[in-house]
Amino acid sequence: MEEDEGAAGGAEQRRPRRRPGAERSPSPSRLDVSSSRFDPLLALYSASTPLPFPAAPCFNNLAEYESFQRGLLRPRGRRSAPSRRGPAAARAARRGPPAADPERIQRLRSLMVNAGPEQEAAEGGAAARRRRAPRNVLTRMPLHEGSPLGELHRCVRDGVKINVHIRTFKGLRGVCTGFLVAFDKFWNMALTDVDETYRKPVMGKAFYAEPQLTLTRLFDRLKLQESSVKKGADSKTVSEELALTNDSQTFGWKVGSGRGRAEDEREKQKRLGRAGEKKMPGDSLHLAARGEADVGSGTAHTEGASAGGTRARSQSRKKRRPKVDYQQVFTRHINQIFIRGENVLLVHLAH
Amino acid sequence: MEVSHSVKERTIAENSLVILLQGLHGHVTTVDLRDESTATGRVTNVDAFMNMRLAEVTFTDRQGTVSRLDELFVTGRNVRYVHIPDEVDIRATIERQLQAIHRVRYFGGRDKGRKEFPRAKHK
Repeated sequence: MEEDEGAAGGAEQRRPRRRPGAERSPSPSRLDVSSSRFDPLLALYSASTPLPFPAAPCFNNLAEYESFQRGLLRPRGRRSAPSRRGPAAARAARRGPPAADPERIQRLRSLMVNAGPEQEAAEGGAAARRRRAPRNVLTRMPLHEGSPLGELHRCVRDGVKINVHIRTFKGLRGVCTGFLVAFDKFWNMALTDVDETYRKPVMGKAFYAEPQLTLTRLFDRLKLQESSVKKGADSKTVSEELALTNDSQTFGWKVGSGRGRAEDEREKQKRLGRAGEKKMPGDSLHLAARGEADVGSGTAHTEGASAGGTRARSQSRKKRRPKVDYQQVFTRHINQIFIRGENVLLVHLAH
Repeated sequence: MEVSHSVKERTIAENSLVILLQGLHGHVTTVDLRDESTATGRVTNVDAFMNMRLAEVTFTDRQGTVSRLDELFVTGRNVRYVHIPDEVDIRATIERQLQAIHRVRYFGGRDKGRKEFPRAKHK
């Protein structure tokens, strides 16, 4: 009964009620740490818990206590007896806000590394001896002398342009060419001024029929695409043709070779007819390369000054399923890139 | 700074280029994944195994479907590229992160606290 009262009284300690008659404070032995009837919960909540050593210094952790014991830390209180953790600390903490903030901040600052120049100078001699040579990713870079990674370090040092072959789950994805800034033992690399030439991996049935992508094939394909684009053709339509026909290469190259205009048109119509090509009003730029102005002759090519404009027009046709060319080679420029080493096939130094 | 609390992760990060990625906390970057999808968002956290957390992400999956995600977690192994923003200086970022680790490691001075590399006791 007394216990409940005491507990209730403790819980409501914020509003201390003084009943004239009844004595609300529990018996002192319940709050005395050394007595056998000590009740810790009561002690935590009671407002009148007596402290055995009121002036004991308080520490924030065991490390502080250790240092204090070794005599390095000046005690806050008069007495040099160490404070006990547990109820004593809890009671001490409840006494008021923790030690004045500026003082605490100052103490913490003194613990920090490189807190002040004076401190640095003071420990300068001793510190230099004890601090081992730092081993981090930057210091490890020159350590690979004589090994392939040492070659990589040479690229970093001398600013050699490198070609990094990137892998897809099976085989080559593409090439990144750029300047190496940093690398590590996993061949993770940070490159700058990167031009990436790549192809998305081809899936499905074509996957099994696909000849293995090599660098030569990649760049041949890219050159082909670029040459078609230069002649003003919409790259999408051209590549569709390329995909469809085996003699796609000859088509591309015969374009400029002065065939008869009618013949050209017939060829195109044939091929595009097979593709179920869209019929769009022809803009004439494509054939300008052949020295002819072919205006609205019903050819299905869509030429635009900007490829972007062309694509926008072709996409406006919603009925048509967009035909994705899975074998198209993409190029892009990235200023700074990080490559995970797992994806690196090989690194080729450009001389 | 946001140095990991684990000693193991700290040393792994310190000795590899993951520390560069950890220096990108708070920057908006594009991460290209192994399966050809891309995620553009703000880097919240990168751990020593290159697991990345991004926030406010525009995720383009490998088919090209774009979606917006509040948070994205990418396993380290699935990362292929991380585009580093132009304003980030690679060398300086690495050095800054290394300093942060150094500060955390040697906090408390010579004789205080738990030491990461305990000195050989003189016999």
